Amino acid sequence: MTPIAGSVALNLAFGFSLLSIIILYIFIRNGDRRLFLTGQRLSLGISFFVFISTFILWYQLIISNFDIDYVARYTSLETPFIYKISALWAGQSGSLLFWLFILSIFATITILQNQSKHHGLMPWVMISLAVIQLFFLILTNFVTNPFMPTEADFIVKNGNGLNPLLQNITMAIHPPTLYLGYVGFSVPFAFAISALMNRDTSPLWIQSIRRWTLVAWLFLSSGIILGGWWAYQELGWGGYWAWDPVENASFMPWLTATAFLHSIIIQEKKDMLRIWNMALIILTFALCIFGTFLTRSGVMSSVHSFTASSLGPIFLTFVFLILIVSFTLMFLRRSDLKSEKRMESFTSRESGFLFNNLVFVVMCFAVFWGTLFPVISEAVRGTKITVGPPFFNQINVPIGLILLGLTGVGPLLAWRNTSKESLIKNFTFPILSGLVAAVIFLIIGFRGAVVISFSLSVFVLATISTEFKRGIKARTKKFKESILKALVAMVSKNRSRYGGYIVHVGIVFMFVGFTGHAFDKEKEFSLKIGQTDHVAGYEFTLLKLSETERSNHYAWISDIRVTDNKGEFVTNLYPEKRIYFHKNPDVNRRQPHSELDIYSTINQDIYSIFSAIDNENGVAFLKIMVNPLVRWVWIGGYILVFGTMIALWPRKD
Amino acid sequence: MDLIRDYSLVFIFFVLPIIFAIQPLFLNKIKNLENQVDIPSLKRRKRILYRQIKELEMEFDIGNINQKDFEVSRKELKIEVSEVISKLGNNNI
Repeated sequence: MTPIAGSVALNLAFGFSLLSIIILYIFIRNGDRRLFLTGQRLSLGISFFVFISTFILWYQLIISNFDIDYVARYTSLETPFIYKISALWAGQSGSLLFWLFILSIFATITILQNQSKHHGLMPWVMISLAVIQLFFLILTNFVTNPFMPTEADFIVKNGNGLNPLLQNITMAIHPPTLYLGYVGFSVPFAFAISALMNRDTSPLWIQSIRRWTLVAWLFLSSGIILGGWWAYQELGWGGYWAWDPVENASFMPWLTATAFLHSIIIQEKKDMLRIWNMALIILTFALCIFGTFLTRSGVMSSVHSFTASSLGPIFLTFVFLILIVSFTLMFLRRSDLKSEKRMESFTSRESGFLFNNLVFVVMCFAVFWGTLFPVISEAVRGTKITVGPPFFNQINVPIGLILLGLTGVGPLLAWRNTSKESLIKNFTFPILSGLVAAVIFLIIGFRGAVVISFSLSVFVLATISTEFKRGIKARTKKFKESILKALVAMVSKNRSRYGGYIVHVGIVFMFVGFTGHAFDKEKEFSLKIGQTDHVAGYEFTLLKLSETERSNHYAWISDIRVTDNKGEFVTNLYPEKRIYFHKNPDVNRRQPHSELDIYSTINQDIYSIFSAIDNENGVAFLKIMVNPLVRWVWIGGYILVFGTMIALWPRKD
Repeated sequence: MDLIRDYSLVFIFFVLPIIFAIQPLFLNKIKNLENQVDIPSLKRRKRILYRQIKELEMEFDIGNINQKDFEVSRKELKIEVSEVISKLGNNNI
């Protein structure tokens, strides 16, 4: 009964979405408000039925109802409770339902929030959201239904269980966070389409979606950082970013969304870049759907491709439809989108923002090209040519450094035009700081991109501190406040501005962490109990090998003592070699997995992987990596989240 | 007993939402709000304009804009805010 109810709820949501689109469209034509109210309630109804079906699937996963194919495929009786919950987004049909679930939450909030606002915009906003919901409802109803019964002519007593790589707490959080980001951009996109349909090119729609965009950006950023954290902890190759197609899929909309967040400031303040902003939000949303396509279609080989399917053409068609419809609409409304104002000087903040936008888009294009090159090369020449990290690094490191530099330059430029005197006054201290830092780093022995990155980081930090100093100085002079009071008042009265600067500090920290990658060291070796080996000035001694059986796996645990070059104790590391589904009588279905152990400090991480074990001879095969400055990436992530929260924090008016 | 529970659940979760959705169709004709002034949006616009004036003053205090630009932009914002206020005033808000 209950699984059928889940399916019926999805059917009803599909019907409601069609009806709401039709009824709201008729309302737009004839203006009968009863139709608006019906359309609005139908839109809320779509979300309601999606909630019901999602909760039903969650319940079935928790109670291990293996009569449902999805439950049998992605959980087992041994699967811990938390991973039964996260199994909702482990497989294809479940994750599409989850996408729809988040979209429905956002759609509900948008509708309820704007019940008495934006009378002109809301009908098209609801139609746009309902169309997106309809797309996912078509998929979950007719292509990959999560409530399909298990195809077995016997009673299924246990399920396959969850992929061991996904049995990690970060992986329980990372996909929902990323999805909240992806899906979050549906709302700004819907407002953009609505503004185009209504010929409303005033900054009002931009102001309505600023907060939404920031929320979606925050989730997308957090999702990407959490993904890197998961890869670092779980995949065992010692890095957090590999330019994997699925990683790139989340990075591309992040780039365009970041550009959009900057350029809407120009539209808000100067009523410029209307076409550009419209194009950016359309691209961002299309890239979000494209990202879901890359993750779900199986068209690219990726460490993240936990499912491969035939969904590719459907997703691709939807992406093309979004682009064709949106850009045609933009073309038809081009006269409304023209701004009367023009950039007046190259040395203005507007130009700085525009230049930063162009660099973001160029970077996005480079990532897009590199990601799709294997598919394009196969289609054109019949041979799949994969471009790996060296290509992406070669292209993106210089672009990234330009962006880092612009992060420092932008705030120092004045609106409209910066005079020569102001340029000298504003740039002297940050440039001098950067140059002094460069000389020091060169003396230490650093070279090339490392020196540029570290020096630019110092330059940007000097810029931001100058901005804070100038703001505080202005307030203390004007209001006779103490420095602390002036700082608090300044930040609380200009949250988006100073929140943004704090985000920039986070980005600088992350760049410092990325630069640390240049100094990574690694070594693979085998040890018997009592033996030692050396890596990057540390001594590793295997003290003990033990074994244990846990609910969902069997594990061999190594106990490694780490001492420094003076012989002083540093830490003990306990990497594990695990066998998941160890009780499965079919040996081929048991899955080996290396669970790492990491000793992390602000200077460097000692990263240990237990690759294999020779039980007969008591030998552990280990891989040790010493990765400098990785923690700076995660600290930068925290700062980024903190800064965004400040920018988002509601203010009393 | 189970049957009653099942039917009740079906009624609550499936039939009631449908009735709720189509109920407005049976109301007498309601006046369209699109032609009315969107008061919350106007209020929001007013708040944003006030905020922009304050931000502009801060930009000027910091030295990010010159005297002439400050005066022109401030005047533009003040004209816009007075238009919004008069629209709100016309609606007795």
